[in-house]
Amino acid sequence: MNILKLIKEFFLNHLAVLALYFISFSTFEGLNSIQEVAIFSFNLQMIIVYFYVLKFPSHLGNGHIFLAGIFNDVVIGIPLGVSSLSYLVLSFFTNYIRNATLRSRMSAEWITFIPALFFSNLIYFIIINNFTHLSFFYVELLQNTFFTFLFFPIFYYIFNYHQTRVLKDNA
Amino acid sequence: MADNRDDFIIALRYALLKKGAKQKFSLFFLISFSVLIIFLDKISLPITTFTRSVLNDIVYQISFVASTPGKVFNYLNDEKSEHFNIVNTNIILKEEIKALKSERYDALFLMTENTILKQALKLGSAKNLGDEASIRARVALDHNSPYSKSLSINKGKKDGIIKGMTVFSQSYLIGTIIEANYFTARVLLITDLNSKIPVVLQDTGVNAILAGAGKKTDLTLEYLPDDIELLPNKIIYTSGKDGFLSSGLPVAETYLNKKNEFKIKSLADPQQASIVHITRGQFNK
Repeated sequence: MNILKLIKEFFLNHLAVLALYFISFSTFEGLNSIQEVAIFSFNLQMIIVYFYVLKFPSHLGNGHIFLAGIFNDVVIGIPLGVSSLSYLVLSFFTNYIRNATLRSRMSAEWITFIPALFFSNLIYFIIINNFTHLSFFYVELLQNTFFTFLFFPIFYYIFNYHQTRVLKDNA
Repeated sequence: MADNRDDFIIALRYALLKKGAKQKFSLFFLISFSVLIIFLDKISLPITTFTRSVLNDIVYQISFVASTPGKVFNYLNDEKSEHFNIVNTNIILKEEIKALKSERYDALFLMTENTILKQALKLGSAKNLGDEASIRARVALDHNSPYSKSLSINKGKKDGIIKGMTVFSQSYLIGTIIEANYFTARVLLITDLNSKIPVVLQDTGVNAILAGAGKKTDLTLEYLPDDIELLPNKIIYTSGKDGFLSSGLPVAETYLNKKNEFKIKSLADPQQASIVHITRGQFNK
């Protein structure tokens, strides 16, 4: 019984890290696998990185972000380190926002997600265009980025609710 | 003004160098490390190629397990759709059976005639290249993302898979091997934007390059002469001019869509492939 409780606690306390690794391994592309709603595909990794680095940095280490990026690169088939760098740039930008912000509000954090996504994707494009011969669908990427931004509040409330419960249980 | 600039620099430096309570590495270190990895991957030293190959094998195996819930969800979704469409499919299949039955008699007649003619000409049975050295593999992962349309299969160098081999699903070409690891390999699908296949059009002999555009029903023909007019229901075959693919493999078909526009669709459905055949015999080299 105690073991089950420990496993449950472990899962609840490390949800961000586990989710990040799971998504990186499972080739999850938002709703891309369902043909009818494929247009609404979004990047959940970016939402997780942004939210946890901004609100609960002690629950998501930079090393995990780096490793998840490496796994994502292997699964997608792009040069190693590209996603890692992209996520770390997002993390860096989010860290800056966290340090520069005095009072946190969801609406403000949602808006600051735009430049964070922009810089992260910019790094990604620069590397893909200069270091590889890969072509990709710019429109799909733009849609993906847009819906990542659009769906942020939904996950903000889900993750926030989860973290509040975890912190309350641990107290 | 100077204070603002100082605050900005302090915040940047803090974000980049300061390690949090539970952070083992600073962002600066990890960003530098990522850049180093990109650089090493770019210059493709033997050690990095080997490391990448080992990493690919390990990650693909884990990824196969991790993507199982998604596959189950897709399976259930497909089953649901299939259930609702079963009546219509049944009617269509009955009609097809009728048509096939009549075609079967024609085929039997032709087979008999062929055998008699071969005996008359004293020819042995023709060698089927497609059956020669065909390796059967299971699709482990389906990478359908904005970045790539590719598949990972559960066979690799261990089983004789090498880069450039041809991959078929249900007798139709679906792609080529672009990366062969020890236990796994990656197939670049013909629907991928990076896929370029030299082809020839049925009844015309016109050469072109068949390129992917992300969808099974929307392939494109590049370098097609201006005076060529596409006709519907024409098969597009490989021309074999790349030196990898054999000539005469059926790849795609022209069709008219609902808006009466000429489009090109793949004969196979690469995203639905679960078992694929990889051939060695189809090389020109």
